[in-house]
Amino acid sequence: MAIMRINVGPIHPSTHGVLRLVVDVDGDTIKNVETHIGFLHRGVEKLCETRMYMQNPSYFEKLDYISPMSWDEIYVASVEEAMGIEVKEAAQYARVILLELQRIANHLLWIGTLCNDIGQMFTVFMWCFRERAEVLKLLEDVTGGRMFYVNMRLGGLNRQLPPDFRDRTHALIDYIEGKVAEYEDVLDSNGIFMERLKGVGVLKRRDAIDYGVAGPVLRASGIEEDVRKSAPYYVYDRLDFSVPTKALGDCYARYRIRYEEIFQSIRIIRQALDMMPEKGDVVGAPIKLIGPAAKPDVVIVRRELPKGEGIIYMVPDKQKPYRLSIRAPGFVNLAVLPKLLEGAKFADIFAVFGSLDIIFGETDR
Amino acid sequence: MKANGFDYLKKITAVDYIQYLEVIYIIYNLSARKEEIVKVRLDAQDPGIDTVIHVFKAADWYERELSEMFGIKIIGRDAPRLLLEEWNGIDPPLRKSFAWGKDYRKTGGS
Repeated sequence: MAIMRINVGPIHPSTHGVLRLVVDVDGDTIKNVETHIGFLHRGVEKLCETRMYMQNPSYFEKLDYISPMSWDEIYVASVEEAMGIEVKEAAQYARVILLELQRIANHLLWIGTLCNDIGQMFTVFMWCFRERAEVLKLLEDVTGGRMFYVNMRLGGLNRQLPPDFRDRTHALIDYIEGKVAEYEDVLDSNGIFMERLKGVGVLKRRDAIDYGVAGPVLRASGIEEDVRKSAPYYVYDRLDFSVPTKALGDCYARYRIRYEEIFQSIRIIRQALDMMPEKGDVVGAPIKLIGPAAKPDVVIVRRELPKGEGIIYMVPDKQKPYRLSIRAPGFVNLAVLPKLLEGAKFADIFAVFGSLDIIFGETDR
Repeated sequence: MKANGFDYLKKITAVDYIQYLEVIYIIYNLSARKEEIVKVRLDAQDPGIDTVIHVFKAADWYERELSEMFGIKIIGRDAPRLLLEEWNGIDPPLRKSFAWGKDYRKTGGS
């Protein structure tokens, strides 16, 4: 049969962002996939070179508009390291709690959109949004922003935590724990959901290493790698949590990893809330354009973002970055898509693509 | 490197130090959880570097990004498609010679 070339995108209802795929199919079987990215390229790395350090955080939030606080934090942490600023202890706990809340919000949205992508229309999506809205409400009360927070300051946060923060967060994670447990009953016994995910888009362990995939995609292929464990930052080494891994490496494994990570995040938040100093000061330095001059030649900061490992490689100048390079988990995870789709059916494209959790802000930068 | 267990390529990036270019490889050993950074200095006038794609498949997009953003020739790969913005202008965007705010439409950029 003749090979037919089909164009998918650049705008497609289930590409979360703008992606163009050129797919060669033989009947219904995919022979080759060519990925075209760059539609959301804004030149963030170049832009950073022209601005002072603390003018940049809001650009970083737009890299990943599903979990902006994680990128906000990794950037501010790299500036802190360049200037040699210590983060206050209470602020370290507060950052861990907020980052894990952000991880929960990210994974909830991801489960919802995955269900949409594979034809489980809107029921689970709406449930996930219901829970995510509660997280966003808390983050809004803490930071003042609903979607974009710009909450990190050098050495701490923007402002004090609300007085009832501890009780509210406890209540919130209890609520989420109960609700998310219901998803398993609905999804894992759903024939269509399982059929669309099990055995689809298998990424073998060796390929996962070779293609350098990040985060949950790497862990779903049987590799236990998590920056929070391998190079702990803040107070993660004092907290007791586990890193879920799966051996199979198919879409279902990637779903399970993220599902289980929600419960691990809840575990982390619960411990961190109990260990956080009772009356600690979390407020960092107010934004000043001229700060202490950066000293080191190179700053490398690694963080476990919700979508995988993020790295900032920065060559600091005195008051602004000389060069700033971003390793985005979405970039490396998208590069493996043609490999995953080899020999798959056309209808699997969006199940596989959805399972990678890609956001185009950070992929294109 | 790979024989010693450094099997996971995290990132390839470059820095333009004006007199020379520096290409940085961040390589990771997954079992020992160790990270190594390899830096290669290149001539700023006519930079070129051998491809590592036969060692790490992850290098594919990073090398394409390097050749597009820094104008570094990747030796051993047959002219890969440009990755991010199909920029064919005279100055590669992340080199320091690329002037911020200059109107490149008049000078023959795409």
